[in-house]
Amino acid sequence: MDLFPQFLANGLVMGVFYALSALGLTLIFGLMRVVNFAHGEFYMLGGVSGWFVTNYLGLDFFSGLIVVAAFMAAVGWLVDRFLIERVRGQGEEPGILLTIGLSIFLVNGTLLLVGPAPMKVAGAVAEGPLFFGPIAVTKLRLLAVAVGIALIVGAHLLIRRTRLGAAMRATFQDPMAASLAGIRTGHVYAATFALGCTLAALSGMLLASIYSAQASVGGLISLKSFVVVILGGMGSFAGAIAGGLLLGVAEAMWGGYVSMGMVDVIGFVLVILILLFRPQGLFSIRTERA
Amino acid sequence: MRNVVLGGLLLTGIAASVPAQAQDTVRIGLVQPLTGSVAYNGKSVVEGARLAVEEMNAAGGVLGKKIELIVEDGQCTPANSVNAVEKLVQKDKVVTLVGAFCSSATAAIMPVAQKYKLPLITGVSSKASLTEQGNPYFFRAAETDALMAEAFAKILANDLKLTKVAYIGVNDDWGRGGVEEFSRDLTALGVKTVLTEYFDHGATDFFTLLTKLRAAKPDGVFVAAETQDGSILVKQIREMGLDTKVFGVGSWATADFINLTGEAAEGIHAAVPYASSMDTPRNQAFVQKYQAKYGIKPGKYGAAGYNALNIAGQAIARAGGTDAEAIRAALAKTSYEAPNGVYKFTGKGQAYGFDAVLVRIEKGEPKVIASTPVDAPH
Repeated sequence: MDLFPQFLANGLVMGVFYALSALGLTLIFGLMRVVNFAHGEFYMLGGVSGWFVTNYLGLDFFSGLIVVAAFMAAVGWLVDRFLIERVRGQGEEPGILLTIGLSIFLVNGTLLLVGPAPMKVAGAVAEGPLFFGPIAVTKLRLLAVAVGIALIVGAHLLIRRTRLGAAMRATFQDPMAASLAGIRTGHVYAATFALGCTLAALSGMLLASIYSAQASVGGLISLKSFVVVILGGMGSFAGAIAGGLLLGVAEAMWGGYVSMGMVDVIGFVLVILILLFRPQGLFSIRTERA
Repeated sequence: MRNVVLGGLLLTGIAASVPAQAQDTVRIGLVQPLTGSVAYNGKSVVEGARLAVEEMNAAGGVLGKKIELIVEDGQCTPANSVNAVEKLVQKDKVVTLVGAFCSSATAAIMPVAQKYKLPLITGVSSKASLTEQGNPYFFRAAETDALMAEAFAKILANDLKLTKVAYIGVNDDWGRGGVEEFSRDLTALGVKTVLTEYFDHGATDFFTLLTKLRAAKPDGVFVAAETQDGSILVKQIREMGLDTKVFGVGSWATADFINLTGEAAEGIHAAVPYASSMDTPRNQAFVQKYQAKYGIKPGKYGAAGYNALNIAGQAIARAGGTDAEAIRAALAKTSYEAPNGVYKFTGKGQAYGFDAVLVRIEKGEPKVIASTPVDAPH
């Protein structure tokens, strides 16, 4: 039983990381109805460009984070204007095929440019352990959790409290009415996709400073993010947070008390259970469309 | 119209494959993981292999022709590695196969090589049972976990004063094999096992596993993991505030592992068949050439690729032709002078005679603390 507090702490930290990495996916799906299979690759690009700006441009972690955010927002904007734009309004399948193709392109492009070696992103603070009674964490993890929570709250406020957020919500409720009301819907779509990409990339850089960045991490991240989003309900912010925490804690407990070797199974068991008993997810905002 | 275009494509396809039929080069197929969590290590094998081919071609090639190395991505998975081999055999008509990296993948391509009656050399896969399957086309130019455990268990137990050890391995044939062999030999020396855990390739967070490790209070932890997984794991062992001694197998004596792991790498021990700091004239020449070409010192896998290709090339030269049976017979008579000793094969295709070393990482450099020739298994 004395291990329980540490397992719980591990699970909660992982949970925030999962929630953060799934946020961009749930945002793009919830608002745009685009199932973004290239999500994990945007996460990977965040880590790799984080490595580039801290290693080659010599920026400190937080300036690097801002540069990466700006760069990935631009990438996201361009991807929407030049690619997603072409399949908008044609149902979900063309979007799925497009983003799968994009993900293959991004992985192999990155492999070609920087190779398969894992890369180290210099962290913002030292890596030594901190002890709270029996619980060990690192400063870097606490910082990542804090930045993660700040990003989640910031994205929520952006959508709920700003003019841009109001324009986003209006556009996705009824694009025709929104454009009649003078909203430039093309820009709103691009801004939303850019925001989703930026969130994915920021979580990628943040977590790469704790683990490492690598060209082919995207697949696993996409998979875990889908688990989180299905658990929480497609498109729901609260759902992504609840889904992330649930997955993190469940994995920590399973790994801690049963076996580490099978820990990736637990997410899919949860998904099967949720699809059987509550297919709209824990917090879905649009049950009728789920 | 479409048919015309398709027909045209087919024709150019056939035209393109005609020179391949004529075989103005001797083709060797290499299957390595080029994507996924061991991709980096697979790339090192390819680098070593290319260097060997370059050297052989500079010396005139074999059978009066140049050697052509064709590399395919097996992704460390059985299914993709089999696909890669099928492609190399059917389309590229290679005369010898080298690969795959992961023991599970190699186990899957062994029967394919046997089906096509092509010699298959692995320079990496170390699960002991691979050479016990009676596949006459398979040769392993690498140590096995059993041979490593036998060579170093005693030195480790004495030098590190081990009494209670935890075992952590990657969840595949190689990781499980390494954990089994080392725990068997250490247990025989009276070292207690307090924990055995496996994790999946590409896992990033080990805090849960390390929580169990902390509770088990071992005085040493054995780790079987490659560069990416291993560096993150070793780093997190220190992040958890654990100061247990760490030792293991995998590509740890490499510049990249040390760079990724940082200070946490100091003082860890690795049992490896090759380290760039090995003190022989052959090795110094090899390190120099490798460094000149790639700007980095060779590690275990760079050397493995280099050795496997040299063994293959020399066997083809001795066979005097590209007939698979002749190459196989020549391989069995291998006596290859590698940077790390002389490789010979047993009747089962297991290499022996080369040196293996135990290194300790000190100030960012792998320092050889013990060296022993690998004997033929008995």
